[in-house]
Amino acid sequence: MTRTVLVVDDSPSVRQMISNTLKGAGYAVVTAEDGQAALDLTKTMRPDAVITDQNMPRLDGLSFVRAFRAAPQNKGVPVVFCSTESQASVKEEARAAGAIGWMVKPFDQQKLLGVMSKLVSA
Amino acid sequence: MDAETLAVFRAETEGLVETLEERLLALQATPEDRELIDGVFRDLHTLKGTGAMFGREDIAGFLHDFESAFEAVRSGAAEVDAPLVAISLRARDHVAALLEAEGAPGGEAILADLARHLGKEAGAEEGFALDLGEPPPAAGAGPWQLTFKLPADTLVLGGKPELVLAELRELGATRLRARIRDVPPLPLLDAAELHLGWEVELPAEVSEDAIRDVFLFHEQGLELTLARAEGAPPPAQPAPETSISPAEPAPEGPTAAAQPRPAPAAPPSAAEPRDASAAAPAAKPSAHMRVPAERLDDMMDRVGELVLAEARLVDIVARSGDPSLVAVTEDIQRLTAAMRDTTMSIRMTPISTITGRFRRLVHDLTSKLGKRIAFVAEGEETELDKTVVERLTEPLMHIIRNAADHGLEEPSGRAAAGKEETGTITLSARYSGAEVLISLSDDGRGLNREAIRARATARGLLGEGAEPADEELFGLIFAPGFSTAAEVTELSGRGVGMDVVKRTIDGLRGAIEVTSRPGEGTSVTLRLPLTLAIIDGLLIEVAGERFVLPLAAVDEIVELPEALAEPGARGNAFLDIRDSLVPFLRLRQLLQSSGVPGPHQKVIVVTSADGRVGLVVDRIIGSNQTVIKQLSPLHAGVKTFSGATILGDGAVALILDVPQLVARGRLEADGREAA
Amino acid sequence: MSKHTPARHGMDLAGDMVTFRLSGEVLAVPAAQLREVLEPVQTTRVPGAPQFVSGLVNVRGSVVPLADLRVPLRMPHPGGAEVSRDAADDARILVLELPLAGQASVVGVLADSVHEVTRLAPEALEEIPAVGTRWPPRYVAALGRWAGEFVTIPDLPAIFADFLAGEAGNSHRPGEAGNSHRPGAPAAGPHTDAEG
Repeated sequence: MTRTVLVVDDSPSVRQMISNTLKGAGYAVVTAEDGQAALDLTKTMRPDAVITDQNMPRLDGLSFVRAFRAAPQNKGVPVVFCSTESQASVKEEARAAGAIGWMVKPFDQQKLLGVMSKLVSA
Repeated sequence: MDAETLAVFRAETEGLVETLEERLLALQATPEDRELIDGVFRDLHTLKGTGAMFGREDIAGFLHDFESAFEAVRSGAAEVDAPLVAISLRARDHVAALLEAEGAPGGEAILADLARHLGKEAGAEEGFALDLGEPPPAAGAGPWQLTFKLPADTLVLGGKPELVLAELRELGATRLRARIRDVPPLPLLDAAELHLGWEVELPAEVSEDAIRDVFLFHEQGLELTLARAEGAPPPAQPAPETSISPAEPAPEGPTAAAQPRPAPAAPPSAAEPRDASAAAPAAKPSAHMRVPAERLDDMMDRVGELVLAEARLVDIVARSGDPSLVAVTEDIQRLTAAMRDTTMSIRMTPISTITGRFRRLVHDLTSKLGKRIAFVAEGEETELDKTVVERLTEPLMHIIRNAADHGLEEPSGRAAAGKEETGTITLSARYSGAEVLISLSDDGRGLNREAIRARATARGLLGEGAEPADEELFGLIFAPGFSTAAEVTELSGRGVGMDVVKRTIDGLRGAIEVTSRPGEGTSVTLRLPLTLAIIDGLLIEVAGERFVLPLAAVDEIVELPEALAEPGARGNAFLDIRDSLVPFLRLRQLLQSSGVPGPHQKVIVVTSADGRVGLVVDRIIGSNQTVIKQLSPLHAGVKTFSGATILGDGAVALILDVPQLVARGRLEADGREAA
Repeated sequence: MSKHTPARHGMDLAGDMVTFRLSGEVLAVPAAQLREVLEPVQTTRVPGAPQFVSGLVNVRGSVVPLADLRVPLRMPHPGGAEVSRDAADDARILVLELPLAGQASVVGVLADSVHEVTRLAPEALEEIPAVGTRWPPRYVAALGRWAGEFVTIPDLPAIFADFLAGEAGNSHRPGEAGNSHRPGAPAAGPHTDAEG
């Protein structure tokens, strides 16, 4: 069964890069350009995993994850942050908001797919 | 990386560099604007992150310190001041250069300046590089004993214990056992929480990093012990720091990785409303799509071809008279017209896409000239065809440079004249019919009428004792070689420039008007057509060759009186049209045509900057939709044509540039008189 | 490939070349630059344009300038400006892709006839002597031999770059620039007589 990954990033090129990598590995990909768009989107669909940027206009990653987690239907959907920030404090904040993990940018395709294999069963 | 993704990357980063510049310049005026600070930070952050994702360490590494600087501002630990903006603008330029050429030099100096400004030494902070190195595995160690318990919220957060176990198996895990002793009594059991722990043995050759990597997403709140099994050859060095002996942990012994959970770190309360307020203005670009400019040009070309093909079709159908064919053709005509309009509307670009550069220019001029200058833009949302906007940039910069350099006074001079010390340059844009008017006004000293007149007379642009109206006189500053600046300054050059402005505007089929009041300022207004890509044209014939005249320039068409059919006789270069004398030019002469004209030549009366002028042609063929194709640089020296088009029969026809044509005709007429 | 400076050695002369005839001489240009070969089409005269690029043609919906290499190479001109109409059945237009002012551009080049695409043996290529050739030396990238004849390989980047800088083909009068013309020396200043 095809797994759907929601990719949230305000950078179109990063969105496209992640999408291409995931699609190449057989995932279905849905993208959103910021937290608000992602939140709107998840009202209509339930992804199998979410990869989100932190710094975005309108609604940042942390606020998005908090709102996302608040909806009962999203229980059990893993959320991974990807960001250039790597301080422990931000990671902790993300965890508290409801993200399962943190991926430091930049990452390569292999790393991304490795992460996905930890989040979504094939 | 596929080319398309790279193209997206390029378009995106170019856009970011642009908005970054706009925001930095705006920040100068309002250094405490939270939205702008957030915006600058986000631009830097995205540029850095995106750069890093695309392997552009040069960009990512360079921007690291700038991002930190604005992070500090954002968190309230620092403030924006003029030097920070100035350095950041240089950084923005450097990033633009890096995007042009990977690894372009010059970044170190900027970073050093930033560090000086922030009061620390450059290079003190290495920061960005990601450490991918793995420590060498301890040689000759025994198999691993691993005990772990995943955080209780693992399941809620979407963690998958079964995937962890599967990964461990892949690493060669054996003797896997679940530990259930932490499972609470049933009444207290929350099914959503995870209480199971596991014990497992892993082969000695697996690296510690590989094992820890399995728990990448479970570090927070993870209980984990990892140790070499007993009976292993004693390691040459002390056991790895993270291992804890004995292998059996105390029930609630926190391990190295399992730090106490911090209280859910709520951001400072002041930050909350900020997020909300940032939502409204930032919502603007969300529904937009960036498209490479070439695709728009391609699309316009296709529509142009469609219009041409349609013209051929209409021609054929008119002769066939088949009613069903006529009906379909009408549909196609309607669709083509709609397609053309839509395509042209996609190409419309707001002036705001270039005003950032003007703000930057004024900023740079302020420091160079030692004057205080404010730049105000009004009607920035006014849209023009993207080609027009692009080609307007240089002329507008030139006019601004001139206004700053010659128009605005020194602060002391302004004070003496009872004005505010800060001079203002205002750009305002608005629609007027099928035209856009763009004015650049300054509140400086105004044009010096007498100086212009003296100069124009000295240059032979004006007859001795002539008393031209202001409009005419001021127009002379755009004449080639004209300059009233007593000294040549670094900025405005040496009297070349304003004529280049005029030529560019002419090339865009636009016009320039100048008004000025002594002591109050000068205003230069550019009138520009909305679009350049397709125009309504009038197809004419001269000596068997076909040309197109922009229909917008045509006033009326009259017959050339038989008496004037032959050139030669003096004093007959005027037509009497309803009691007014209209000078006329023979296109046969201007276009160096061969042969003798026939009996029924026509005169097309056009309105030019100098009033009505007649153009004598052999024949009017009719009006047509003219798709403008630019001429090759090889024909840059030929000024009488603004472009070319392809006619229904496939032939190329040149499009006459009316202002240039009239100016040239005037020149030749003067030459003949002088001779 | 070459920048738009007269870098004759930047031209790739080792690959396939297209040979064609012009005013009785055999010329060759790199086949990599050739987009297509057209039979003569209706040419639109550009009034006031220099003789080197006096016309425009429609190449598949694009307006393309038509260049006459006889002008910069100072070859005899049988038919004056009315080239395409006087041309024999063999006349062709070589549609070439060249960088002009740093931009990839399409230019048509007149040929009396087009022969074939061939590879010129490196040993058959010679540097041109500075004196004693019929052609302006700076516009010739190399001389070669093909089918028993001399082949001239014009330095198109140099020719067009000079033209754009206001130096080359605008001279209508042969002999004006003389044989003493040293590369780069004269006429380096900005020329404003392009309209004349």
